[in-house]
Amino acid sequence: MVVGDFATEVDVLVVGGGPGGYVAAIRAAQLGKKVTLVDKGELGGVCLNRGCIPSKALIHASDEVYKMKNSSHMGIEVDGVKIDFTQMIQWKDEIVKKLTSGVASLMKGNKIEVIQGEVYFTGPDTVKVATESNSTTYKFNDCIIATGSRPTELKFMPFDGKKIISSTEALSLKEVPESLIVVGGGYIGLELGTAYAKLGTKVTVLEGADSILPGVDPSMSRMVQRKLKKLGVDVNAKAMVKSADKSGDTVKVTAEIKGEEKTFEADKVLVAVGRTPNTDELGLDQAGIELDERGFIPVDKQMRTKVEHIYAIGDVAGNPMLAHKASYEGKIAAEVIAGEPSEVDYQAMPFVIFTDPELAYTGLTEKEAKEQGYNPVVSRFSFAANGRALSLDAADGFCQVVADKETQQILGVQIVGPEASSLISEAVFAIEMGAVAEDLSLTIHAHPTLPEAIMEAAEGVMGNAIHMVNK
Amino acid sequence: DKKRVLAMPSVRKKAREMGIDITQVEGTGPHGRITLDDLNNFGKAPK
Repeated sequence: MVVGDFATEVDVLVVGGGPGGYVAAIRAAQLGKKVTLVDKGELGGVCLNRGCIPSKALIHASDEVYKMKNSSHMGIEVDGVKIDFTQMIQWKDEIVKKLTSGVASLMKGNKIEVIQGEVYFTGPDTVKVATESNSTTYKFNDCIIATGSRPTELKFMPFDGKKIISSTEALSLKEVPESLIVVGGGYIGLELGTAYAKLGTKVTVLEGADSILPGVDPSMSRMVQRKLKKLGVDVNAKAMVKSADKSGDTVKVTAEIKGEEKTFEADKVLVAVGRTPNTDELGLDQAGIELDERGFIPVDKQMRTKVEHIYAIGDVAGNPMLAHKASYEGKIAAEVIAGEPSEVDYQAMPFVIFTDPELAYTGLTEKEAKEQGYNPVVSRFSFAANGRALSLDAADGFCQVVADKETQQILGVQIVGPEASSLISEAVFAIEMGAVAEDLSLTIHAHPTLPEAIMEAAEGVMGNAIHMVNK
Repeated sequence: DKKRVLAMPSVRKKAREMGIDITQVEGTGPHGRITLDDLNNFGKAPK
């Protein structure tokens, strides 16, 4: 070490303050570790500042607008709904602020030192942290890398923050765009596209795959497709985007659809084609960490990288890129550092998509169940037969339970419909507990509520559902 | 096939803490679930 280059010693260094990083920091502190957390931006990471929370706020607000304009069949006539978009964005910003300051006070309450700065690895146990005013070397005993991910850029149409935007800018626009092209029909593109469509934007979706929401059961994504059509969204599948011309006032996007070139024009283009892990520019090679071909950091079941005392969690550690997966992994890494025998061990990961209607699924699909050697039985209960869904004017959708025919064990649940994102939790819990269909059936569900649909679907597995004719 | 071990999350955690490979434990609980008793009895000679 160069004379004068003193290294400040820290016990556990957490790099990144997102849902993985801050949760890891808290759990490590709970277990008696002295924790230092470094983040180059705001606490809360993408999820709180530029992801989950702001997008859900905007989705909710746009849904309220939509309902006001579309409730005449319930006898609600609203004359001239006015949108103050500046106020809407401000309301969203206040929610974000509330939550990030909550994280800050949790850091303080757990005596976690928080530094705002950029981390660069200089060795297997040293980093340089560049803050606004200086650069300091830290020597750590253990380190948790939780640097997250960022929107993937298309080389031929890079983000400019104005006409070609990512989800980040789409969540903080100054006004509702008249027209918007969404490149990518995955969950981010569709969630934001739906929100703007409800606010009055003319939305066009260009998806490269055969249908929107690739990876989601087609019987579920079809219901979203139907609603998009109703909202006047122009959905184009098998559309390979080739180029963008932003020389005029608008942007013209050219895409190849079924062998034909087609040009689309809009005020802005939202590129939502995926997320790239933030594993470059960290100097990870200096620490001895190699990345896989997609830029993720390989880890074991205890979230350890190849370098024993360095852990990686969340989006940088691979798919699925979900906030709750990051937090779960953060707890594991912290516990392992504290000497506990924790490891990744779950039966069911919930996936939720805040489209209209919402989608949520967990565990195995029928196809996956077959692949894993089960003889699955599938039971579907429609929200059209659920009193609460009807009273909510949201009867489109269903709950579907996949169970093992022989043991009746619940293997997976797929939900499309109102509050699917909340409903899925019962299913995740049932699978974690190793519940059989009868367990859900014998559990009294409050009436009239949406979760009754899960109970009925489970009863359908046994052929004794009450509110539908059993197969 | 890769069929699952039937045990509650807390029991799976307990097995790890006890250093037991839960896939080797036979479950005596409802529907063949592995219980805490099964973990405690694991490796002990039958009485």
